[in-house]
Amino acid sequence: MKISLNWIKDYVQLDAGVDEISRAITFLGFEVEQVIRTGAPVLRDVVVGEVLVRDKHPNADKLSVCQVDVGPAGGLKTIVCGAQNYKVGDRVPVALPGAILPGNFEIKQSKIRGQSSDGMMCSAKELGVAEDASGLLLLEGRPALGTPINEVLPPGDVVFDIEITPNRPDCLSHLGIARELAAWFKLPLVYPQEKFRGSTDGVPHPELLRNVSVLSPEDCPLYTAHIIKGVKIGPSPAWLQQRLSAVGLRPINNVVDVGNYVMLETGQPMHAFDARKLSGNQIIVRRATDGEKIITLDGKERILTGRMLVIADAEKPVVIAGIMGGQNSGVVDDTTDLVLECAIFKRQAIRWTSRRLGLTSDSCYRYERGVDPHSALEAAYRAIDLIVETAGGRVVAPVFQVGGDVPWKREIVVTHAFICARLGFVIPADDVRAALESLELNIARDEIDEAGGPVWTVTIPSWRDDLDRPIDLVEEVLRLYGTEKIPPAVVLSPGLIGDDDPLVLFNRRVTDYLVGHDFHECVNYTLRGEKEIATWVSQAAAVELGLANPFVDDQSHLRPTLVMGLLGTLKLNQSRGVAVSRLFETGRVFIERNGQNFECAAVSFVMAEPLGERSWLKREPADFYLAKKFVSALAAGAGIDLARQPLVPISGPYYGWQEGQSAAAGEMAQGWTTRFGLLSLPMARAMGVDGKVYAGIFAILPEKLSAENSRRRYADFSLLPAALRDLALVVDASVPSDEVRKTLAKLTRAAIGNAFALEKIEAFDVYQGKGLPEGKKSLAFSLVFRSSERTLTDDEVNAAFQKIQDEVGQTTAWQIRK
Amino acid sequence: MQDTLNALVAKAQIELAALKARPDFESAKARLVGPNGELTALMKQMGAVPKEQRPAMGKLINETKGRLQEMLDAALRSIEAGELQAQLGPSVDATLPSPDIGPGTYHPLTLVREEMCRILRKVGFVVADGPEVETEYYCFDALNTPADHPARDAQDTFYFPETVRFGNVSKKTPDEKYLLRTHTSSVQIRTMLKGPPPIRIVSPGRTYRRDTTDATHSANFHQLECLYVDRNVTVRDLKALLDYIFASLLGKETKTRFRPHYFSYTEPSFEVDLSAKHLPKVKKEWIEIGGCGMVDPAVFAGVGYDPEVWTGYAFGMGLERLAMLLYGIDDIRYFYQNDLRFLKQFG
Repeated sequence: MKISLNWIKDYVQLDAGVDEISRAITFLGFEVEQVIRTGAPVLRDVVVGEVLVRDKHPNADKLSVCQVDVGPAGGLKTIVCGAQNYKVGDRVPVALPGAILPGNFEIKQSKIRGQSSDGMMCSAKELGVAEDASGLLLLEGRPALGTPINEVLPPGDVVFDIEITPNRPDCLSHLGIARELAAWFKLPLVYPQEKFRGSTDGVPHPELLRNVSVLSPEDCPLYTAHIIKGVKIGPSPAWLQQRLSAVGLRPINNVVDVGNYVMLETGQPMHAFDARKLSGNQIIVRRATDGEKIITLDGKERILTGRMLVIADAEKPVVIAGIMGGQNSGVVDDTTDLVLECAIFKRQAIRWTSRRLGLTSDSCYRYERGVDPHSALEAAYRAIDLIVETAGGRVVAPVFQVGGDVPWKREIVVTHAFICARLGFVIPADDVRAALESLELNIARDEIDEAGGPVWTVTIPSWRDDLDRPIDLVEEVLRLYGTEKIPPAVVLSPGLIGDDDPLVLFNRRVTDYLVGHDFHECVNYTLRGEKEIATWVSQAAAVELGLANPFVDDQSHLRPTLVMGLLGTLKLNQSRGVAVSRLFETGRVFIERNGQNFECAAVSFVMAEPLGERSWLKREPADFYLAKKFVSALAAGAGIDLARQPLVPISGPYYGWQEGQSAAAGEMAQGWTTRFGLLSLPMARAMGVDGKVYAGIFAILPEKLSAENSRRRYADFSLLPAALRDLALVVDASVPSDEVRKTLAKLTRAAIGNAFALEKIEAFDVYQGKGLPEGKKSLAFSLVFRSSERTLTDDEVNAAFQKIQDEVGQTTAWQIRK
Repeated sequence: MQDTLNALVAKAQIELAALKARPDFESAKARLVGPNGELTALMKQMGAVPKEQRPAMGKLINETKGRLQEMLDAALRSIEAGELQAQLGPSVDATLPSPDIGPGTYHPLTLVREEMCRILRKVGFVVADGPEVETEYYCFDALNTPADHPARDAQDTFYFPETVRFGNVSKKTPDEKYLLRTHTSSVQIRTMLKGPPPIRIVSPGRTYRRDTTDATHSANFHQLECLYVDRNVTVRDLKALLDYIFASLLGKETKTRFRPHYFSYTEPSFEVDLSAKHLPKVKKEWIEIGGCGMVDPAVFAGVGYDPEVWTGYAFGMGLERLAMLLYGIDDIRYFYQNDLRFLKQFG
């Protein structure tokens, strides 16, 4: 909101400088976005003069030597001047020696090319009035010689562009801001003088307005209409035009301008009708009917719907209530009789309509924030005073008033002790009293509580609906005391039991791990496009992930995997010629299961071939098993041992993954899932990513990450030597090695019984090809035996190993490869 | 005898010096001092030596044996050294670059977040977390947001269709809508609903606003909020925390100031400014860094804390904004593009 300093000074006699006032506004709680200076600054020793003689300078072609009469300010002056746009007889601003022009430019008596000069004739720019520097500022209307220039030029003003927080609709007005500044500077606030106090001749004028009815009182708790007869529409007086122009409003005519002026002064919007145009001489506040139309003052046709509130006459809507008037009913040049509306509309109703129509206005903005119903009539009276003053006419007929019959009364009881306790420091009781009173938060009763401290009963004015509780007054007191005076302190920190959220610990763990393995951490958008999503999830799941109101098409759905973002990162870097390989991201993904989404914590990585990066020494490229190692570490970070989990190849609708080169474990029913391996080559190519990309994802429900980090227990281990045996088996090529390993382990344990332990069994060689039948492979396992009690003898181990081989021969289809 | 022994030593010296490999050494050792070796053979001749010469001869043989052993040890050492030497390739060119990629890097948002969390952990805050999909209750109602507040508008907040269900995001009432949280304050509500005070948490996380993406706005951004609830928490304590945070982050000369402001969930509320003259690319004396205030009693009442007993403060700020200030980054979109030339600058 734009606030004019000149205007503010109508209500409070500020003599503080602009910077000080700007600071005050800031620390009262309103952000000053801009300070705009307009008009002429205060200029001393700059007066009106008339050029009597203009001679060519003897020593310079472009200069003139003039005789200038400044009248009572010093008579005739000789002034050398370089401008060309003036003639003898023109009246111009003359800066006399001693004057200081903007830019701290001091005028002195001087000699110019050998010719003495007693001052300077000025351009608009030199005076700081306007940007025009093309020549002297020629003064219109022949102002008296010697008149101080400020009396001739439009007065300078300072306009503050202020952000008003939504809790302070009372400050969407000059009076509101003036009240705040008066409190800050401890100055009295002077309200405008009122003449009209609601008394009229009381004679009805049904030919102007017969009736006001409010059919939708829940949207319009108060409606008032005054009839003003015999006005003369014309331009507003200069002072009114200047005020409006200063804060960015275009003057229109005296009546419209007064409406705007009073709104900017008091915060109460107004609307004036031409009484002739109200069909049936009626005003009806009602909801629109679907499809009803109105052409608003901005010239656009608006189609209304049933929830929108309108002011209508007997036939048609004439105003979209609280938002904008219609072209069909406004004040025009030959209007003589007015109906002045001053009403209160519900915030929600105005807001809803404004959003639907995409239409807002100064009036709408104020109604949306809340206008004080108890000051509405005051504002109407003020407007009437100004209309009568600027357009003539008189109020006739009794006021039409509907609603507005709930009186305002609010008191808050607060103690001095409470205020100081909440602040953490003491503001003297007298200062508290003064602060409250300065904001018209009057202390109705000043008493002593049981503890002997002051207890105040504070009456809250109707425009401060935001103040409701003692804590609200703490803020008021602190604002006026000054937040910059909060005394410094140290942070007191009693120890509390508890640790970081398990999810935070998990993220930190996996992030440290992956960064330690040369991955670069990325952050990508959570919202993705529908097309991108379709690569990764089924149609049905994609529907569940969609937003109701996306802002742009490529950010319409929640991400089901982090990999899509990482692929985008690969693509971006590749296309910019930046060698890129290992990337990862941690963050939320959304996984659909049985028609429900689950918000999961996830970590994913990709490993691409660093294309274009050549090296003098070749390293092994990434492969499936490297991805497996990393995914296992991520799962371990969540307490899941992937070695104990069944791994299944990803096939069928394998969204994003390359069949035969990728695997999965876990599912949402268990609360976690992982997938890893090679990304689908066609998909990566379609995405515009070059080369093979190995990836891994791990996602888990946050609630599955246990807060109770079960502490590990120590297990005893044998210091005696182990016995090692290797066993190679020929099996079907399609059989997973782990299946063979598990069966072999079971057979082995059965064979050795309790005699000693099979400590480890692991595949160490895989072979397929020459020397083996088609469709077969050889798997070699190393078996580690150990006893915790004795060193194993060759004999007993050999015996056991033979038994194992016999069992394999008898119970399996595998061949032992010698 | 003595000559024979001397000759043996001399011969051994030549032979042993020429040895290169371990098998040669073993056979030389056997030949010299083994059970069938030359020294053993000489020792067997002791019987033929006259009795009175035997002590001197015995001494001589022992000396010879000692010398041979020394020579053998030296030869073995030399062979071992040779073996180790053989394991090495040619000398490296230390100036060639490593062919391995690395090191990995943390994203600047992570670095800033973790630094803030570290600073706050020192004064007793623990890191809390909560869902990014929220409901109207946790995001707005519980934070005392008026029913018609613009933040709730579908123009400013992302909502989900009413048919969409989130299996692990709880609703307070059955008919509230799901949305993407507009601030991390919802974590405060969920934390307070979980247990009684005192509470001291910091909740960093991703937030969403329906906003045009440009150099300073992103539909998806990160916040960090602090909440402290205890008895007798004051405005002065809040100011002390902010002073502590920014002095820790930016140096002791850093100052903060409060400007009164309005947030529905705090009363009184403030915007926090930072003295910024020493920050890169900042030309203003003060810059806004976040918002804070004393937790509004209505928020406490909503989560079942007695506002007569409990007091508290909350502080929140944007992580991107902080990272931009700290590192002198001037476009928020860089955080989400992940150009490696950007990522590698922060470590």
